[in-house]
Amino acid sequence: MAPLPSKRRKLEHTPSDKSMDEDQSENHIDQQSSAESADEAAIPQLKQAPLRQKHTQAIDDAALYAGGSYKSSLFKLQVDELLAEVQPNYEKRLSGVNEALRKLKTSLEGIEDREPGSVSEATKSLQNSHKITVPFPDPKPDKNAAYKLSYSRPSNINVVGSYALKNMVKTDGALSIDMVVVMPSSIFQEKDYLNYRYFYKRAYYLACVAAGLQDEVKDEFVLTFEYLHGNSLQPFLVVRPKLGDNGKNNKGYEIRIIPAAPPSFFLEAKLRPGKNAIRPKDSQADQTTSLPPTPFYNASLQADCNLEPYLKLLHASSKLSGGFKDACVLGRVWLRQRGFSSRLSEGGFGQFEWAALTALLMKGGGPKGHSVLSPGYSSYQMFKALLQYLAANDLTTKPLYYEMENMTNIKSNLPMVYDGPRGQNLLFKMTAWSYRLLREEAKTSLDMLNDATFDQFESTFIIRTSQQLQRFDCSLHLSCPSKQLETTSCDHATNERKFATCVFDVLHEGLMDRVKIIDIRQPDSSSWSLKSSSPTSSSEPFLVSFVFDPANIDRLVDHGPPAEEKKKAAKFQKFWGEKAELRRFKDGSILESLVWSSGSAYAVFRDIVTYLTTCHFGKEVSDSLIFIGEGFEKMLPGGSSTKSFEALKQAFNVLEQQVRDLEGLPLQLRQLSAVSPQLRYSSIDTPSFSPTQPMKKPADILIQFEGSGRWPDDIVAIQRTKLALLLKIGNLLQEVDTSIATRAGLENDEHRLQNCAFLDIIYGSGAVFRLRIHNDREQTLLERQVKNKSINNLAREDALSALSAYKKTFLQLPLLNQSIATHCTRFLLLSPTIRLVKMWFDRHMLLGQVSEELIELITARTFLHPYPWRAPSSTMTGFLRTLSFISRWDWRQAPLIVDFTGTMNSKDVDSANTRLEAWRKIDPSMNRTVLIAASNHDTTGTAFTDNGPSKMVAARMTTLARSACKLVKDKGLDLDHRALFSSSTTDYDFVIHVSPRFIATQRQKDTKSKFKNLEVQSDIDLETIGYQPVQLYLEELQKLYTDSIKAAPRPFKVNLTHATKLAGAKEEEGEQEVVIHKSAILAEIARLGGDMVSRIEVQR
Amino acid sequence: MSQIGNYTILPLTIPSTPAYPKPTTHTIYLRPHTPKIPTADDARSLFLVNVPIDSTSAHLRSVFSSLLGAGKFESCSFEHERKQPGNAVALISAKGSKKRKRGQEEDEVKMVELPRIWDRELRRSGSTAVVVLVDEKSVELALKTIRKLHRKSSKSKSGDVWPVWGEGVPESSQITGSKRYLLHNELRFPNPREIQANIDAFMTSFNSQESSRALSAKRARNEPDEDGFITVTRGGRVGPARAEEVERKRVEMEDKEKRKREEMERGGFYRFQTRERRKEEQGEMIRRFEEDRRRVEVLKASRRSKFVPEK
Repeated sequence: MAPLPSKRRKLEHTPSDKSMDEDQSENHIDQQSSAESADEAAIPQLKQAPLRQKHTQAIDDAALYAGGSYKSSLFKLQVDELLAEVQPNYEKRLSGVNEALRKLKTSLEGIEDREPGSVSEATKSLQNSHKITVPFPDPKPDKNAAYKLSYSRPSNINVVGSYALKNMVKTDGALSIDMVVVMPSSIFQEKDYLNYRYFYKRAYYLACVAAGLQDEVKDEFVLTFEYLHGNSLQPFLVVRPKLGDNGKNNKGYEIRIIPAAPPSFFLEAKLRPGKNAIRPKDSQADQTTSLPPTPFYNASLQADCNLEPYLKLLHASSKLSGGFKDACVLGRVWLRQRGFSSRLSEGGFGQFEWAALTALLMKGGGPKGHSVLSPGYSSYQMFKALLQYLAANDLTTKPLYYEMENMTNIKSNLPMVYDGPRGQNLLFKMTAWSYRLLREEAKTSLDMLNDATFDQFESTFIIRTSQQLQRFDCSLHLSCPSKQLETTSCDHATNERKFATCVFDVLHEGLMDRVKIIDIRQPDSSSWSLKSSSPTSSSEPFLVSFVFDPANIDRLVDHGPPAEEKKKAAKFQKFWGEKAELRRFKDGSILESLVWSSGSAYAVFRDIVTYLTTCHFGKEVSDSLIFIGEGFEKMLPGGSSTKSFEALKQAFNVLEQQVRDLEGLPLQLRQLSAVSPQLRYSSIDTPSFSPTQPMKKPADILIQFEGSGRWPDDIVAIQRTKLALLLKIGNLLQEVDTSIATRAGLENDEHRLQNCAFLDIIYGSGAVFRLRIHNDREQTLLERQVKNKSINNLAREDALSALSAYKKTFLQLPLLNQSIATHCTRFLLLSPTIRLVKMWFDRHMLLGQVSEELIELITARTFLHPYPWRAPSSTMTGFLRTLSFISRWDWRQAPLIVDFTGTMNSKDVDSANTRLEAWRKIDPSMNRTVLIAASNHDTTGTAFTDNGPSKMVAARMTTLARSACKLVKDKGLDLDHRALFSSSTTDYDFVIHVSPRFIATQRQKDTKSKFKNLEVQSDIDLETIGYQPVQLYLEELQKLYTDSIKAAPRPFKVNLTHATKLAGAKEEEGEQEVVIHKSAILAEIARLGGDMVSRIEVQR
Repeated sequence: MSQIGNYTILPLTIPSTPAYPKPTTHTIYLRPHTPKIPTADDARSLFLVNVPIDSTSAHLRSVFSSLLGAGKFESCSFEHERKQPGNAVALISAKGSKKRKRGQEEDEVKMVELPRIWDRELRRSGSTAVVVLVDEKSVELALKTIRKLHRKSSKSKSGDVWPVWGEGVPESSQITGSKRYLLHNELRFPNPREIQANIDAFMTSFNSQESSRALSAKRARNEPDEDGFITVTRGGRVGPARAEEVERKRVEMEDKEKRKREEMERGGFYRFQTRERRKEEQGEMIRRFEEDRRRVEVLKASRRSKFVPEK
């Protein structure tokens, strides 16, 4: 079996892993054969089942799935399920569609022609006869225009789009069926492409269609107008079945009647992206060359001509390639989960663009006109190859001209895929920011799919990544100014779109590398009734979203060009206005620069954005700014920066040096390691101390000596020897540094096999460390005892629990501590995110049950396996993605796996899965091991989950996370972050209120008043270190009532009450008449708590 | 009702506290003690189930004094205290068989315990205790008194005929709340000199015990037992090799062998090897595929479908 892994990897190698460049065409033939077989696998029941015997086919299938054209067999199986799942049931959901289409077609053909009339005549007649307002685009046509509007029978009526191709995907709303009505060329003139004339005629034609249909089918259907993809040049008619007769049908489908221009009626050469088709009123016609181009207008017109040609292209492609259709469905799902669609407001890259681009690339687009995709690709290969194409090629600087020679390049920041035969830029609806976002998403997904270790199916297709708060670090609302913007371009665009472009340009230039992504969403348009005129632009604010670059976001000084470069400097000054100043830097250079006042990342960012908008768009706009996203970070006590942990870190370094320099230690020192959340940037409260106020909670550290034969060969004796060693270390340290006080303490008095002693090292500065000795001999001795069959079960169990305690404290914790600390410096946001997640657990009273280390692992996962996003760059995204992971984590069936070093392979992942299955088999009711949290340090996955959480707590964790995620989703940007952190006690059986006096001693914050009078007496201070009566009380309660009660402690509010909650029913030992003696137990709890408990509240 | 199975029910009145002002009774179940391994004191012992968590000997003494009058209560032992039969003295004197000796050694180690870090132990909820009374008659009397009290309580409305928990118990065995934890905080940091002395004592006894163990092992090397066999023991002329080291070495050797063998096989020396390997690979692939298919089936079966894109 050993040679298998390497071989397997070779089999898994998919051709699409390669760059999609020149070697593509050479690979063509063998890929075709392999993918053909994959294609057979996709529809085995159709082709293969009758031909072969069942058994051989199964083996065949298995071999196919295991190798070659898919990422892994698991991935392929899941993709199959997905494809089956998203496919709507055509017969059930779309019953009656064909009849409706036929009916509409007959009605359309029956509409009577209208004589040509002037603009005002035509509008009036429609208004009078049908009360229909013609949906003319802005600017409205001139009343005195010379041309005439008319209607005559459509030259062709056809169904296009995904219904015709049978690759629809289930959606929340109605499924839409596109019906194209080709207008006859008789009503147009050759020059109609100029100055909106075509679009006026088109609008009139549409209104006539609406009028005609209204007469015919008024009883069955509801008619409304809508803009195609939000493009105000292209209104169309929406036909929805009426609700009355069949209640079920209300969401079923809608038919979109789209007028189309006669194909190749207008000259393609006149409508290329570089041409102008909207002449300024006061200029001459022969000035075309010098006029600014109108690419959007041209492309909109061409799009009208190309509705049918594209249907033909896509149809031919699906005939040519078996994987094409499914690849389109996959692309569609992928785009939808990322919030993209053909609509102008949603990026302008949707299923149609995806499919058309795939189809074009299957025929060409590569170097020397070679094709980029092979028709033999399987659906997944094709999907991935398209992602690769999007990610690798920058279509703004290197546009794709498909079958198009001698195109002149136009410089622009918009992407271009020019389809020569059809004369259209496929990506004309995209904006500069949506194209960047699309490429970013493609790159992320590609990286994700290239990760061979983990299954990425869920992140690729299932998770909705477009949730605003999870995706972006900061969002802001921005209102469009009421006055018209002046731009040089005369292309067709709404005022909002122009403004958005300006905003993007300014922010993009001004924020530089502080942000990775800027996205702008305009308010969307909706349908309107036939009688009213098209809705004017709404006053809703824009949504501008950002993804930060954590390394640069809080930079305080920006360097501009040097003063010598006059031109650049002048430009810089012009852009930044009075903020730009000339500065001389340490290295002698004199640079234009900007200095921002210091503050948190959000504060700096807000300053810059506010300044930029005021500077470029005026006060009206900057006053309308509303920033969203900072709230989460502000909740953390002691700030979100890791700086507040540094003092303790330095104290630790000093201690380490002092211990290293100690003379007279009986054994050679190997290492000193930290094992405290306070020393790995992950405790909720930042460690703060001063000479008068030592730390309340000592920071745990471990010391390990070089191996020695002088250790006794007995576990209990080793523990005692450790105690003696600790005393010795304490004395030596005190001799070296008089500011140090030490004291040896005892612990674990009930477990003789476990570590029994620690040494508190208290510095004059107030830093307190708790030192324990790690001796690796313990493990062997304990393991020997566990295996020893001659001792009784009880002793063996003792040894087993001691062994697991040993492994956790002395083996796993140092590793985890190191990993977390390292990654906290690598990912600046990891530390605040961990602290916030811990706080969430704490507020929901789960922190007593779920170990801090487990929370750290869960949070680290969000950063180390961030897909489908990139690693979080703000506390908010980190926190919300972690919550969303918890809500999705099906811990019954899947382990948590965190790979700190990126060294795990799929075999490790498999073994973790197998281990989980084994646990579930041994213990199906999950009484012992509930969560499996493996990492590259601990493949068993139980190091930090051995002592809980129990099934009940784990389920509560999931429920809470789910409801939190639901709240985030429902509230969207209006989310009040505090709502996620408030919890209710109603689910608990009873609540123990601890009197506030004792919380004061537990929380460092509150010690001030309490110990003010004791500040001079250092010996009394010493005693309070590590004295946590509430904690101790809880531990005792848990020990006493292990089976019956779950305690969940947390301070409600500082200085108010401390609520301890206990849930679950008590079962008492006894005979058949078992008495659940709650009140006796409560009385016991009250007795034990004594003066600490103020009140016990019974809930049920 | 005064009886459940063969247990007699003894309710105790629990004085109310400010934190939990409800008047409460706590129920103890008791019966004559009949352990599997009988001891001399069985006849005058009572077995108690579900003692309160803060029980001490003083508490139980006061309960039985109120039932039987003073002087009838001899001693009591709680659940996990009874695990080790606390008669070390008797064992030390016996030096006969080997088995005994081991017991003795362990006890010697135990004798030097670390200082206690709690002023008293708590009992787990619902745990048991054995109470030894002065004579057999007291046991019967106790059960009888309880039955009598049951009759009395059913007659009288007030029902406060039962012994009151913690009445007459000295304050020192009733320390609770913050005082208990403060005391614990003091106890867990004993005087360093005390600790040092404790460790020294422990090490002395441990060392003497080690050397005696070594001695006996050495003796066992030479002395045949009754059947004429010589037991093989650790240590000998050669320095003592640790068992696990030997084990490690062995595993290492095996690994080496295995690797060597595998290398030979991987070479595909014979044609049948290549063929078999291929077959194996295919089998493995199919197995993995089946596994994946099963996993997908499981996912499919789960309540929230994993294959529908999130909305």
